[in-house]
Amino acid sequence: MRSAMRVLLVAGLVLGLAVTGWAAESTLEKINRTGVFTVGARTASPPFGYINKQNEWVGFSIDLAKLVHKNIEKKLNKPIKFELKESAPATRIPLLSSMAVDLISGTMTDTRPRRDSADFSITFFVTGAQFLVKEGSPLRGIIMMPFSSDLAGKRVGAQQGSTNERIIRERVPQAQLVVFPDQAAGFTALVQGRVDTYTNDGIQLAGLKAKAPNPAEWKIVGDFYSYEPYGMAMRKNDSDFRAVVNNALMEAIEGGEYFKLYDKWFGPKGELPYPLTDDVRQFLSYQVVPK
Amino acid sequence: MPLSGFLGIQYDFQWSVLWTGEHGRWLLQGIWTTLRLSVLAWIIAWLLGILSGALRTVPFAPLRALATCYVEFFRNVPLLVWLFFWYFGAPQFFPQAIQDWFNLHGPEFWSAVVGLSVYHGARMSEVIRAGIQSIPKTLLEASVATGLSVGQAYRLIIIPIALRLIVPPATNESLNLLKNSSLALTIGVAELTFMSRQIETYTAKAFEALTAGTLIYLVLCVGIASVMGQVERNFRIPGLIARVGRAEH
Repeated sequence: MRSAMRVLLVAGLVLGLAVTGWAAESTLEKINRTGVFTVGARTASPPFGYINKQNEWVGFSIDLAKLVHKNIEKKLNKPIKFELKESAPATRIPLLSSMAVDLISGTMTDTRPRRDSADFSITFFVTGAQFLVKEGSPLRGIIMMPFSSDLAGKRVGAQQGSTNERIIRERVPQAQLVVFPDQAAGFTALVQGRVDTYTNDGIQLAGLKAKAPNPAEWKIVGDFYSYEPYGMAMRKNDSDFRAVVNNALMEAIEGGEYFKLYDKWFGPKGELPYPLTDDVRQFLSYQVVPK
Repeated sequence: MPLSGFLGIQYDFQWSVLWTGEHGRWLLQGIWTTLRLSVLAWIIAWLLGILSGALRTVPFAPLRALATCYVEFFRNVPLLVWLFFWYFGAPQFFPQAIQDWFNLHGPEFWSAVVGLSVYHGARMSEVIRAGIQSIPKTLLEASVATGLSVGQAYRLIIIPIALRLIVPPATNESLNLLKNSSLALTIGVAELTFMSRQIETYTAKAFEALTAGTLIYLVLCVGIASVMGQVERNFRIPGLIARVGRAEH
């Protein structure tokens, strides 16, 4: 027992040292000192962050992060290197806390519990969870108002770390939830028939469908059964940095840059056609506070 | 706060997330699934390992070749790939009716059991072969000379001695198996690592959840190591292996 205690103690110290590094400094100070602005992005969530056919890491969220980058350079008045790091739902908050990245710009839904661990920018995209099924499947997923679902006893694939997984668990406990750590595994399970349907934010399902070898084989069903406002996440209590991020987004919405980027990725000729509804456009512009 | 100060990160630790609400139950469920998965896979891996480890040393070339193929094929492909294969790929070779039945009976868990046991069986086989080959050839010859068949000599003499010799490397392999069981989360098995990440998902308290997971693995592994140490002491063959004092680990 004594040797076991000793092992635990040593392991604790080693783990502790592994995350020791920087003394507390603000994000802008850190970027100024290192000359690098590091952003955590997705690699398999088209069109927010993914590797394209030319093997480049691109996406809507990455383009928005580049606007933030420009604003940081303006603020610090010197050229700053822009760097991307892969971040998944399970790793994004640790990446932030350990200072490995300065900003998460991917597909992260802003939620109240998450605001205990990170601060969020204004909302830059709005979607809601739906279901992806094989064409010809009778499943309709979840219908809202009044709430109904035909998922009881069905095997429903979901992505760990997503808000929709949690809603299914709470509101349709009769469904057999199978949770995968990433989108690719969940979609493969659907393709191989291990699950009857796969649920995620509607826009992500549209991305999966568009990237599938035969998009006509898949359909997206059900109402939005969750509200998913995407925000950029950063370390808590760093309001100077948050202002730089928010101002970049507000200027982009105000100046039209945002809508140009939206059109590039979600327009009729974009990677994933997903028209901007009038109420979302209105909502985005109401977030812009006056100069 | 003192811990985050020590670690030098800007983070407010709240260890209570580990037991508030459903989280404590999730961790216990995760431990239970990890143990069930590991124990089942461990038993099958031993059986496969003993069989193929013994076959790799028998004086009959086709059986040796068969066992060699098994070992080299399964240990030289990453475990993650095997898990994907057993879960996504292998069921496709069966008729739809069997697949439907499989889908209703925990396909994630059983694919993980098969994946872990076949992979670790191949690794265990090498440990057992090393044990068998460390026994002088003359012992097999002497056993056969007393009238035992080769099969009997293996079953009654060679393997019981080999198993005692290989306890330390087998302990190593067992600990690897336990830790590798965490890969099962990639195919949707709700084991310990999955549950720690689940807590992180719900509370956004990553350090607390992952630290809890890490410490639980550590305790499980130290526990297994001490049980195996006891096994080693109880089953050692006096006079066969020279040793000074008791085993340290």
